[in-house]
Amino acid sequence: MRMKTGSTPVLTRSRYRISAGLLPYVVAGLVFTVLPPLLPDYFHSLLIKVLIFSVFAMSLDLIMGYTGLPSLGHAAYFGLAGYIAAILLLKCGIDSFWVVLLASLLGATLLAAAFGPLALRVKKIYFLLVTLALGQLLFYVAWYWRSMTGGDDGLVGRFTPNLGIPGVKWSPLLFYYFVFIFFAFTFFVLRWVTRLPFGLSLKGLEQNELRMRCLGYNTWAIKYVVFLIGAMFAGMAGVLFVYFNGFAVPKNLGLHFSGMVMFMVILGGDATLWGSVVGAAVILYLEYISSLYFPERWPLVFGAAFILTAMFMKGGLAPYLAKFWKWTVGKWRH
Amino acid sequence: MERMLLNLLNGVSFGALLFLLASGLSLVLGLMGILNLAHGALFLFGAYVGISVTQNGGHFILAGLVGGAAGAAIGLAMERGFLRHLHGRILEQVLISFGFIYVLTNVASWIWGTVTQIVDAPISGAIVLGDLFFPKYRLGLIAIGLVIALGLYLFDKTRVGAMVRAGMDNAEMAGALGVNVKFISSMVFCLGAFIAGFAGIIGVPIFGAYPEIALDALNLALIVVVVGGTGSIPGALIASLLLGVLDSFGKALLPGIASYTIYIALIIILVFRPSGIMGRSA
Amino acid sequence: MEALRVEGLSKNFGGIQVLQDVTFTLKPGERWAIIGPNGAGKTTLMNVLSGVLAPSRGRIELWGRDVTRLSTYERLRLGLARSFQLNSLFPRLTVEENILLALRGKMSARGQFLQPTAKGDPLSLQMQELLNSVGLWGKRSSFVRELSYGEQRQMEIAMALASKPRILMLDEPSAGLSGAESLRTVDMIRSVTEGSTLLFSAHDMDVVFDLADQIMVLFFGKIAAQGTCAEIQCDPMVKEIYLGGD
Repeated sequence: MRMKTGSTPVLTRSRYRISAGLLPYVVAGLVFTVLPPLLPDYFHSLLIKVLIFSVFAMSLDLIMGYTGLPSLGHAAYFGLAGYIAAILLLKCGIDSFWVVLLASLLGATLLAAAFGPLALRVKKIYFLLVTLALGQLLFYVAWYWRSMTGGDDGLVGRFTPNLGIPGVKWSPLLFYYFVFIFFAFTFFVLRWVTRLPFGLSLKGLEQNELRMRCLGYNTWAIKYVVFLIGAMFAGMAGVLFVYFNGFAVPKNLGLHFSGMVMFMVILGGDATLWGSVVGAAVILYLEYISSLYFPERWPLVFGAAFILTAMFMKGGLAPYLAKFWKWTVGKWRH
Repeated sequence: MERMLLNLLNGVSFGALLFLLASGLSLVLGLMGILNLAHGALFLFGAYVGISVTQNGGHFILAGLVGGAAGAAIGLAMERGFLRHLHGRILEQVLISFGFIYVLTNVASWIWGTVTQIVDAPISGAIVLGDLFFPKYRLGLIAIGLVIALGLYLFDKTRVGAMVRAGMDNAEMAGALGVNVKFISSMVFCLGAFIAGFAGIIGVPIFGAYPEIALDALNLALIVVVVGGTGSIPGALIASLLLGVLDSFGKALLPGIASYTIYIALIIILVFRPSGIMGRSA
Repeated sequence: MEALRVEGLSKNFGGIQVLQDVTFTLKPGERWAIIGPNGAGKTTLMNVLSGVLAPSRGRIELWGRDVTRLSTYERLRLGLARSFQLNSLFPRLTVEENILLALRGKMSARGQFLQPTAKGDPLSLQMQELLNSVGLWGKRSSFVRELSYGEQRQMEIAMALASKPRILMLDEPSAGLSGAESLRTVDMIRSVTEGSTLLFSAHDMDVVFDLADQIMVLFFGKIAAQGTCAEIQCDPMVKEIYLGGD
């Protein structure tokens, strides 16, 4: 599942650049910041969702795409952070966004710290099995612990982020920009992490763990750290999601979300962060279209798309998009 | 005293049902290395098809067989049409099975609607224990569970079982030795799917049939597989009985954590013996 | 102080005894070859010594320190590096990236993970030197899976050398190489391991006599003989086992 690109022999360059320079970032930045106010209101919700799920997907991409750990229980951290946020907001009367965020991130990371050693004991397919089981465990707890989680009704409220800044009037558009800051933060932080020597060691680990150990790397520790980082960012997305939706429900922790985010990573093309963003956008857009024209059949479409992607497009969309970009830029330059 | 016995019987019968549910998954995982996440969806289809059969006047046993056949047919389509082309690529095969959960569940809702359906047990009446009753149907479940367990055990010991394992380890070599790997793979997968579909309809008097059961059933099957040791049929049997009995006694004695006993067992196994009760170390 | 001391090392897989009561000592600077027929246990021995497999019984000491329970990466940091009989590289990374990973292996966490490498850095220069010594500098941007078998074998050895180990273990370094490639590889190994401790397995007796001062003969998991090249060459039992008894 790799993109083949040629490369110039400079040590610090990443392998997955699609063109030299800042052009893609400028274009993307423009699209993300300038375009939204020009779009109709109902679109803003979709865009917010895309950004939130992009963060979620990028966090899984780090674990699965770069390090090769297929986690099918990643929604556990997403959902738990959301629940912690909702509980703090509704039951503990805590209002400050920053406190809620910090507590939720801590909770998600602690859960990963606990689940990690259990899941990392086993390899590949059994890792998937164990992460699945652990995710379902959490779903089950959320479902049955009515007093704490509201059971299948969940926790509901109208949450607006209290940033401690006076005079902020929330609107969907403003919330969009708010989420965009977190999205950009996540993107650049994870990109930085993958370009460090750490990122190279992740790729090495994915390709040949035994050799990494024989070269002097504590591979278990590396996997554990990556797992924690991924869980933390998933938690970040989970908190934003709860603020966005106004409710925390067991579904947020469940297999559907875990599978959906995995689909986003695979569709985008693993080990490319921007690919995960594309994957998130495509799937959420498809879901949106489906809700308009054939809401009852969305699971069928989703499942079929999943199967087809797994069968024919294991490298994801990224290689095609990268080629397309190169071709476009090439044409434009001549 | 009768109470204890009743709890035990309840546990064992639930365990038998768990075994019916999980054995197909374990079989395919152990012999073919494929984790079929759509296993619960096959269970669901078997249930719905079986219900349709009984609603059209068919005998329950016929419903069971037809339900199983439905499962096997879908399994065949899955294996031939999709999984086979990705031989050896375990992760992609799991992903495909995941996609099938959605496809199958949605098709089932399309055909049968989303309202929970239930069918009465074919054997009514109960055996009397003091002033408690134990339904005869549940006794029947125990019997069916034992029969299937025995059947699978013998199957594994046969040449066919060995051939499948050979094909899994090294398809080329096995093929060169005259093993028809493709055929046997299909056969095993269909067998697992048949058991799933069969278990689906058999379980209807206990669980009912509703769309989400594809996931609920998968959950239970996965826990049995993890606790018992992946790919081990004896392990699945032991785990099923253990979990069934734990669940039953948990519900009776500790109502507070009643629903969690199975998950507690899962955590304990993951912490202390991750390869499962009968599994070999990963 | 001895570089490597092995006492009573045994390894069995289920009912199969692959190594039996292996005991030997390597002094610093010594260069040992392990020879023996296929299946004698040479690779298993290396796997146990490097920590990839745990011994069923016995004791391993590196520089006087008991490492029997230590993990593979900890042993690397104590100076024990190995190469594999079947190339074990990172196929979808470039030659450059492979070597960088190898070079960083011995560094602190900061060096391993956080400090990027720029063009003039000491690490970059070490990489250049290492790649030049195996003749792969020109191919540094190629993916490893695009290299020929011989080039990959060079990489395999280079990766083991990267950490400047105090004890270098090579599992059949010239396996699969043509005559000329083999000579080149052996020359490289000899010059690079000048003065350090070397333990390697081989089938080709030319390679053995070229690189080693001492030989250990492994036969069905047991050490049948050990001694200097001259001693082993004359040993009748060795001749019987290995050289066909003529």
